[in-house]
Amino acid sequence: MAALVEKIETCPLCGTRFDAMGQGCRPSCPMAKGCRVVCCPSCSYSFPQEAGLAGGLRRLIDRLKRDKDGRNDSP
Amino acid sequence: MTPPAPAPAAARAGELEKKQVVAANRAIILVGNPNVGKSALFGALTGKYVTVSNYPGTTVEVTRGSATIEGRPWHVMDTPGTNNLIPMSEDEQVTRDILFTERGYAAVQVCDAKNLRRGLLLATQLAEAEIPFTLALNMADEAASRGFHIDVERLSRELGIDVVPTVAVQRQGLAALQQRIAAGGRASTFRPRYDEAIEAALAEITPLMPRGGFGPRALAVMALVGDESLRPQLAAHVSEADLARIDAIRRGVAARYPESLRFVVARQRLAAADRLHDAVVTRGGATAASGLGRKLGAWSTHPLWGIPILAAVLYAAYEFVGVLGAGTLVDFLEHTVFAKYLVPWITAGVRFLAPDGPIENFLVGSPGADYLKQDGILIGKYGVVSMGLSYGIAIVLPIVTTFFIAFSVLEDSGYLPRLAVMLNKVFKRMGLNGKAVLPMVLGLGCDTMATMTARIMETRKERVIVTLLLALGVPCSAQMAVIFAMTSKLPMAATVWFGATVLLVLFLVGWLAAKVLPGRGSDFMLELPPLRVPQAGNIAVKTLARIEWYLREALPLFIVGTLILYLLDRFGGLALLERAAAPIVVGLLDLPREAAAAFILGFLRRDYAAAGLFLHYQPFMEAGGLTRSMQIEIVVALVTITLFIPCIANFFMILKERGWKTGVAIMAFIVPFAVGVGAVVNQLMRWLY
Repeated sequence: MAALVEKIETCPLCGTRFDAMGQGCRPSCPMAKGCRVVCCPSCSYSFPQEAGLAGGLRRLIDRLKRDKDGRNDSP
Repeated sequence: MTPPAPAPAAARAGELEKKQVVAANRAIILVGNPNVGKSALFGALTGKYVTVSNYPGTTVEVTRGSATIEGRPWHVMDTPGTNNLIPMSEDEQVTRDILFTERGYAAVQVCDAKNLRRGLLLATQLAEAEIPFTLALNMADEAASRGFHIDVERLSRELGIDVVPTVAVQRQGLAALQQRIAAGGRASTFRPRYDEAIEAALAEITPLMPRGGFGPRALAVMALVGDESLRPQLAAHVSEADLARIDAIRRGVAARYPESLRFVVARQRLAAADRLHDAVVTRGGATAASGLGRKLGAWSTHPLWGIPILAAVLYAAYEFVGVLGAGTLVDFLEHTVFAKYLVPWITAGVRFLAPDGPIENFLVGSPGADYLKQDGILIGKYGVVSMGLSYGIAIVLPIVTTFFIAFSVLEDSGYLPRLAVMLNKVFKRMGLNGKAVLPMVLGLGCDTMATMTARIMETRKERVIVTLLLALGVPCSAQMAVIFAMTSKLPMAATVWFGATVLLVLFLVGWLAAKVLPGRGSDFMLELPPLRVPQAGNIAVKTLARIEWYLREALPLFIVGTLILYLLDRFGGLALLERAAAPIVVGLLDLPREAAAAFILGFLRRDYAAAGLFLHYQPFMEAGGLTRSMQIEIVVALVTITLFIPCIANFFMILKERGWKTGVAIMAFIVPFAVGVGAVVNQLMRWLY
C-alpha cells in the first residue's frame, strides 16, 4: 500500500494543522507495511489521509468550488 | 520548541547552525497553543542561530535564539505549545514554569487566527496572570481566505494589549510586531469573571498568595482548583495555616459542583473567551456562529436537553445504518448482485473454460448442486467469492459505508466533542472522563485504530481501562454491520437483551476496573468547535477515504479467513476443531456445533465470526421462522462474540501500546469472561425470555 502523501492535514476533531509526514500511526493497517492513516499530534485522533480516490475527489470538489467562486466574483 | 514533526534534538542539531546565543538583558518568550506557527515566528525573529536543550529536570525541549530588534539584542525563547497555564502535561508545565520563573521578559502569544477561540482561551489566562504580552494573530492570510474577519482594533481594546496580524512563514507583520515588542508589552486589563461562589473564594485566597511571578488572582485560581504542580511554590511562600485555610475553602467550593473545580473554572473561562470571540469575529457578514447554531450547540451539552438530542442522533444513525445499510443495501448486494449475477457468471465462466475436469471441481465444485453446498475454492460453502467476497462486500461493506457516512456527519458537524461532554458523568463512574468517548466512538469504526487513540487519556490507569473496554465490548464497524443485520430480524425484546447485556457489562467492568486498578483518573477540557451544517463534499471525501482504507486493510483478511476455512474443511480440521470446541459451544452456550468454526476464526476477525453466524441463521430469518430457541442462540452468540477480543491485529496493538504483561492479562480476562457472560445470558434468557 502506498505510504503517506506529503501535505498539511487538519485534524477533524481539534482543528490542529500538521505536517502529515512523520505523523503516520498505522494502527489499523495490519496487512500493509505503511498506510495512509495519520494521527493528530495534539489530540491523537487518527483518520485516513485523503489521498488516492478520495484525494482526487477532494481536488475535484475544490476545483469546482474555485470555478464557482471565480464566476461569482467576475463582474 | 514544538516543530510540526517531532525529531530528537540530536537529529535536529545537525540541520541547525549552532552558535552561542548572545546574552541579552531583554528577553522575548514565545507562547501559544500547539501548531499555531510559533516555531515559524521564532525562525523569522532569530534566523537560524539557535540552541535546543532540555528544560532542567524534564525531557521537554526548549529552543533559544537571539534577535536584533531596533538595533538592540534580544534573547528569544520558544516554549512548548500549551492550552493551559494550569498544566495537564509535562509540556504545559514547562511553559507555565518558564513564564512563572523568568523575569523582565516581553511575552508574545502566537495564535492561529483561524482558530481564535482556542487562542483567546490562553490569552485570558495570560491576562489573568498579569503577564505583559503582545498577541500575534498568525496565519492571518488563511483566516481571511476562509472568510474570517477579525476586528483587530476592538480585540486590542477589549484585551488592553497590542494585537498584530502576522503571516510568520512570509514574514508579514514582522516589522509591526518587532516595533510593539521594542515598545514593551502591556499587561492586559481583561479579567475573566467567574460565578459568585468562585469569585468569593478568590477574594479570600488572593490576599494569601505570594507576590512575584504571576498575578495573585491567577495564583489564587490555580490554588483553588488544586493545581498540584504549584504546591511546592506555595509551600515555600505560604504559611501552613494559610495552606490549610486554602484547602478548606477549596473543599467548601468544590462541594457545590458535581464536576471538578478545574472543569468548572475552565468552562466559565471558556464562556468568557467565547463572548470575546463573538464580539470581534465575523464571517461572511454574520457572526462566527449563528444564534441558532450557538443555541443548538449549548442544548446539545445540556444535562437535560442534551439527552433527547443524543437520542435523536442515535435513532437517525440506527435508521440510516441499521435499516438502510443493513437491510436494504445488504439485501440488494447479497441476493441480487452476488446470488443472481456474480456467482452464476463466475460459475458459468469457469465451467465454460474448464468443463468437466478436476480444475472445474477445484474452482467451482461439481455441477448441479446449490453453490452454498459446493466445495470449490472460488464458489462453494467456503469459496473465496461466494463466502470471502460475499462477507466483505455484500454483507459488511454496505453497512460500513453507511456507518462511515454517519460518522463523517458527526465529525463534520462538531457533535463528536459534544458527545464527550454529554457522557462525561457516565465515564466518570468508570474511572474515566468524557474524553474517553473519542476512542470509544472511533472504536465503532476500528478497535485497533481506537486502541492507539487511548493515548489521549492522561493517566496510565485511564489508558488501560479504555483499552480493556474497547477490546471487550465496543463492536467495530464491520462487526456492527453483522449485528445490525441480525438484530434487525430479531424481535425487539431479543435486541434489547443483547444491547442491555453489552452496555451493562461495559459499565460494570469499567466500574470494577476503576476500583481495582491502581492509579488515578483525571479531568478533561475539550475545546468545543461551533456546531455547523456538515458539508456534503467533506462527507463524501471522508467516507471515500475510509472506504479505501477498509477495502485495503479489512477485505484481504476476509479472503485469508475464507482460505483458512476452506483448507480446514478440505482436510478435516474443521470437524476436529468443532469437536474440540463442542463442550463450550454446544454444552455451555447451547449453540449449534457449526458455530464453533465461527468462534475459532473470530479471533482472526470478530466480524468474520459474526458474518458466519449471520449466514447460518439467514434462511430462518428470511422465512420468518426463527424459533424462540434460535432467537436465544443468536443473542448468546452475538454477546459472546462482541465481548471477545476484536481481532488479531487488535491484540497485537494492545501488546504494543500497553506492554505484554497488561496485554496478556487483558486477553486472559476477556476470553473466559466472554464465554462466561454468554453462558449466563443463555441460562437467564431460557428462564426469563
